[in-house]
Amino acid sequence: MVQILDVMDKALNGKPMSETDYQLRLFAPKVQEKVKEYKIKYDPNNPIPSDNSLADDLFEAGMELLVDVGAYCTSSGRIISYTESEIKAALKNAPSKLHFGEGRDRKSLVHRNVEDKIPPWCLLGAGGGACSSDRSFLTLVEGYAEIPETNAITTPAITRVSGMRVRPASPLEILAAMRNAVLAREACNRVGRQGIPIMNSLATAESDIAFAAALHPKFGMRQSDGYMICCMDPMKVDFARLNKATVALSLGGAIGMCFGPLIGGYSGGPEGTAVSNVAHHMMGILTYQSSWLLPFPLHLRYVASSPRDMVWLVAASSQAINRNTHLLSINLNYTTAGPCTPMCLFETSATVTAAVVSGHSIECLGVATNKHEDRTTPVEPRISAEVGHAVAGMKRSEANELVKGLLAKYESKLSAPPLGKGLYECWDPDTRRPTKEYRGVIKRYKSVMADLGVQLKPEM
Amino acid sequence: MSPERTLKYGTADSRSAPFQVSMVRRLGMVGVMSNEKVLKDLQNAILKYDSTAAVNAAKAAISAKMDPLVAIEKGLVPSIEQIGEKFERMEIYLPELMLAADAMKSALVLLLPLIPKGAKGAKATIVIGTVQGDVHEIGKNIVSSMMMANGFNVVDLGVDVKTINFIDEAKKNGAKIIGASALMSSTIGSQKDIVDYLGASGDRRKFAVLVGGGPTTKEWAKEIGADGCGMDAIEAVKLAQKFSKGR
Repeated sequence: MVQILDVMDKALNGKPMSETDYQLRLFAPKVQEKVKEYKIKYDPNNPIPSDNSLADDLFEAGMELLVDVGAYCTSSGRIISYTESEIKAALKNAPSKLHFGEGRDRKSLVHRNVEDKIPPWCLLGAGGGACSSDRSFLTLVEGYAEIPETNAITTPAITRVSGMRVRPASPLEILAAMRNAVLAREACNRVGRQGIPIMNSLATAESDIAFAAALHPKFGMRQSDGYMICCMDPMKVDFARLNKATVALSLGGAIGMCFGPLIGGYSGGPEGTAVSNVAHHMMGILTYQSSWLLPFPLHLRYVASSPRDMVWLVAASSQAINRNTHLLSINLNYTTAGPCTPMCLFETSATVTAAVVSGHSIECLGVATNKHEDRTTPVEPRISAEVGHAVAGMKRSEANELVKGLLAKYESKLSAPPLGKGLYECWDPDTRRPTKEYRGVIKRYKSVMADLGVQLKPEM
Repeated sequence: MSPERTLKYGTADSRSAPFQVSMVRRLGMVGVMSNEKVLKDLQNAILKYDSTAAVNAAKAAISAKMDPLVAIEKGLVPSIEQIGEKFERMEIYLPELMLAADAMKSALVLLLPLIPKGAKGAKATIVIGTVQGDVHEIGKNIVSSMMMANGFNVVDLGVDVKTINFIDEAKKNGAKIIGASALMSSTIGSQKDIVDYLGASGDRRKFAVLVGGGPTTKEWAKEIGADGCGMDAIEAVKLAQKFSKGR
């Protein structure tokens, strides 16, 4: 079994190569080679494919890609290679069930199959989106913790400490990461969900030193939280990320590697990016020692996961993983449109449907490309979770028709999406409810969803 | 390039006037055809993402005594522009864009030093990098390649670039523009540091500072006193064109 010392050994003794050669002259052409060899083809008419052979081909192509190109360590300038038997052993030894949280909020993240009736694990929140103040952070996390479907929280990121903008790998980042831990726990305490796990620990800590510092027990992080470490695209790692992995492992924490291959990026189009997405799953359990995965493939042009080819990619690659492994994988989605718009809700509904019927759980979500401070509310993750629960068990063919109906509602507006309203313009922190205007938007959205065949909870 | 200009490089002896006229016509024609081939080779090298071919074609241009500006503007630029347009339409993807930019860079290394300083047509220099503490490179690579596709001389400093390095490299390379990319909300503060450092050291007027990346917005650029925020690569290029002669 490949362990962290083996990863270091490979990183120090693997084949030397420049980063440019790895990503442009090895990774990129190999991806296209696999697409060609396995005849992977994106079908715009079926954004949620039901073709099992496509899923299985994607899985084989992804595994071969990892065998052929390995991961790349930017710190040592060497390739971290894996044999097929190492990959297969890692897949076999990976957990199919993990516990997160404490007390009555302690729940199990379990593997889901394609078209599984088990509801998805709902990791809800801001997906590391920027918030402007401690007040906004608390308002949002309290809102996320109150959502009945919430299994775990994905917090926003703190951008300022005592009025000073965070600087990377500086005392400001360390203090912000500590504050991230303290405030997340405080927000959950305030609404009576003391035991709920934080699973993007710690969104504010980009550097390894901030990550390690904020894990001191006095700031409230627990072994039963989830420890997210972001991979650099494509399949790259550095010593700082391995430092994070080593620290999390030493605490007994469950690492989730997050990774975002881009349509239009190093993997090329939707087909290549689907292959890359599959390969990243396997690379994550080996290189980053992940016991769960957090894919967030995005579209380079729209910085979102709701375009048609993205929906296909999420569905096809999720099916590839869930038909062929027992991995625990949670798809994070981004919308182009902002809060208080029907488009935002239609976008998240489409991607969530693709992920859930294809066997993945969900992290929801980055709103309005997660670019703008305080442009997110607890409504969007709540609606996403309601959709996730509603479509669990749905046949892929049925989901395909649903998604086509949803795409028709927003596809033409992706180039110029409405940014909607800011947090305090459409969410009342005192009543902990959306404004009357936003409630109206939600009611109209739910009525459309009912017309499309998905009955969601009645909106109060 | 005119036949006369080609001939100027193509002849070294002094002969009688009638002989010169005849040679002008003859060598001029030969020169034009030869130059056309060189230009075609430069164009193809970029379109085929071939750095070796680009270097060979640039060497051929130099051997043929071709005006380096012509080699760049008529050989390299039209092809890299085509590549940029194809990338915008997503007919090609990041690897092809970067390989084409690499090929262009390989040829420019040979051709740019031959252009007299201040020559008409010489493009502005931009130094670009991802800010200190941030190792995300994709956005920066796209902008860097698109800048090159639009004729800028790009000095790419890579990722995790210290504030002072942006400024030192801008001075060293005679850049008019500093481009600072950041992907994380925890790293965009370093963009402010560049603007503040230039202000504190009395150099603010010498460089336009353009910012971009995941969490950057026009409001952020305004707040920190940057000269603009490219919300995508195309907008970044437009901003760079605006500041190509300085602030």
